[in-house]
Amino acid sequence: MGSSADTQVFLRSVRLFRNVEGPELGILADSLRERALKRGQVLLREGDAGDEMFLVRSGSLVISKAVTGRVEQVLARVGPGDFFGEMALFDRSPRSATISADNDAVLLVLDRAALAKLTEVSPRAAAAFFESLVLIFIERLRASGDLVAEVTRWGLEATGLDVESR
Amino acid sequence: MSEGSTAPPRRARLELLVRPEEGDGFEVRQIGSGVAFIQSRPARVSAGSFELAEVASKVDRQRSFILKNTATDRFLLLSEHEKFLWEQMNGRTSLQDIATAYVLRYGEFDFEIIPNLIRKLQRAQLLTMTPTSRLRQALARNRRQPVAKMAESALFALERINISSRNVQPVFRGIYRWGGFLIFTRGAALACVLLAIVGVAAGVRLWPDAERVVSGFGKSPLMAVISVKLLFLLTVGAHQLVHGLALIHYGRRVREFGFTFLHGFVPTFYVDVTDIFMGSRRARVVTAVSGALVHLVFGSVWLLIALRAPMGSFLQAFAAASGIIQWQAFVVALYPFCFIEMDGYHVLVDVLGLPTLKHDAIAYAGSLLRGRASLRFTRQEALFAGYVLVSTVSVLAFITFNVWLVVHAS
Repeated sequence: MGSSADTQVFLRSVRLFRNVEGPELGILADSLRERALKRGQVLLREGDAGDEMFLVRSGSLVISKAVTGRVEQVLARVGPGDFFGEMALFDRSPRSATISADNDAVLLVLDRAALAKLTEVSPRAAAAFFESLVLIFIERLRASGDLVAEVTRWGLEATGLDVESR
Repeated sequence: MSEGSTAPPRRARLELLVRPEEGDGFEVRQIGSGVAFIQSRPARVSAGSFELAEVASKVDRQRSFILKNTATDRFLLLSEHEKFLWEQMNGRTSLQDIATAYVLRYGEFDFEIIPNLIRKLQRAQLLTMTPTSRLRQALARNRRQPVAKMAESALFALERINISSRNVQPVFRGIYRWGGFLIFTRGAALACVLLAIVGVAAGVRLWPDAERVVSGFGKSPLMAVISVKLLFLLTVGAHQLVHGLALIHYGRRVREFGFTFLHGFVPTFYVDVTDIFMGSRRARVVTAVSGALVHLVFGSVWLLIALRAPMGSFLQAFAAASGIIQWQAFVVALYPFCFIEMDGYHVLVDVLGLPTLKHDAIAYAGSLLRGRASLRFTRQEALFAGYVLVSTVSVLAFITFNVWLVVHAS
């Protein structure tokens, strides 16, 4: 497991914490847990309960959603510096997708208690964190729209369906 | 790129994650919409759900056909070419095969005709699309049986092995420029004939001592046969390479070259020669035949080695077995009557103008056996019956010959 100082150095490189100052990053680094995954291992499944978000320290993971039988659609891949699972952190709803390790990976786990601590100790740091989070949400929302369009285009091309002249 | 030119739209791709039936792990596959489209198997509605009637125009004397969906009372006007495509849409033939059949039948291809017809038929509710292979469907139906489940898993694993490149045109062009062109000269044809004669002579001289020749395998004939087969696999690569060079010779494009497991269990090299359909019939025949000649050449060389090797040695037995298997491959590749759609079959259907000969002949033989067809043959039905009869006899003879070989080798 990496030291708190190592974790702090890593957090500084993460876009989500770009505007969070050094001392607050130290507090955050102390409250994060590390979790290792082997290649192919499933971290969490769609529908699972959970209230944690994850930061990818190393390795890469696939975010997928069940389609049929043993087949899932890949929604995104995440790598070092990326994060996921934040929706359940805020609304405590069941996990919306399955996360599997594409290769050996190390994650940092941020739970509600750690986030509450950051908010309590430094509301300014928490505000910077939430602002970055919202900006990244907006990017992901746009990417979701692009994915929906791409999947629709795939369906039209694969079936030869002619919508224009129907 | 010149100003104003536009690149063709990129085909959409889906990334799908497939999990094993048990345990962790997964595989991510990219499926292009184009692949899904050409592998789909359009199926027309059942025979009772449509009517087809011919109409002859008195103006241009063109034949057209009226297709009626009896369930919805919708009508479509089909050209003769479209009627041909409609007849192929039986739920078993992929769009790729239908396109091939079309080219063989009419000697031309319009890239829009099939998508346009499919759209027209779908709008009239006369078509459904089936995307999976028949073998996999059968295995999936019997998945509860452990053997079928194991076979499906094994095929699934092997089918994923596909090493190929779509950017091989420069490589083939380079090989052609640096000596490959020599294969298509009169000198090469003459050398091939001479080698065949010498090879036959070597085979004839070895024949009386066949038992002593194969005794060189000693106590492990089966292992020897397997190693001969593995070596043979490499020459299949050379066979496909020559097909590709033939395309270059006729100014056509080699779209893909690779290695895969055909149907999940037959290891093979392959080359995409579909561009030769745009060439002349001579180009198609030369392309088909040239690949098979590789086996004739290798077979003759092996038999010459066997003749020169010490009597009863392992080298002699190995060379003789390799020679025989190469010649078998030559015959099987060019011999059209064996239910396998190889080079000779494609030449035959090209010459006859019957692109779906095997399929139609088997269907006709089935109806004959079930007593649903008359024994009074039309010319085409006689052709179908003859194809099935000669193919059946040929396959039986081939199996008998190989059993005889193995029995004598052991």
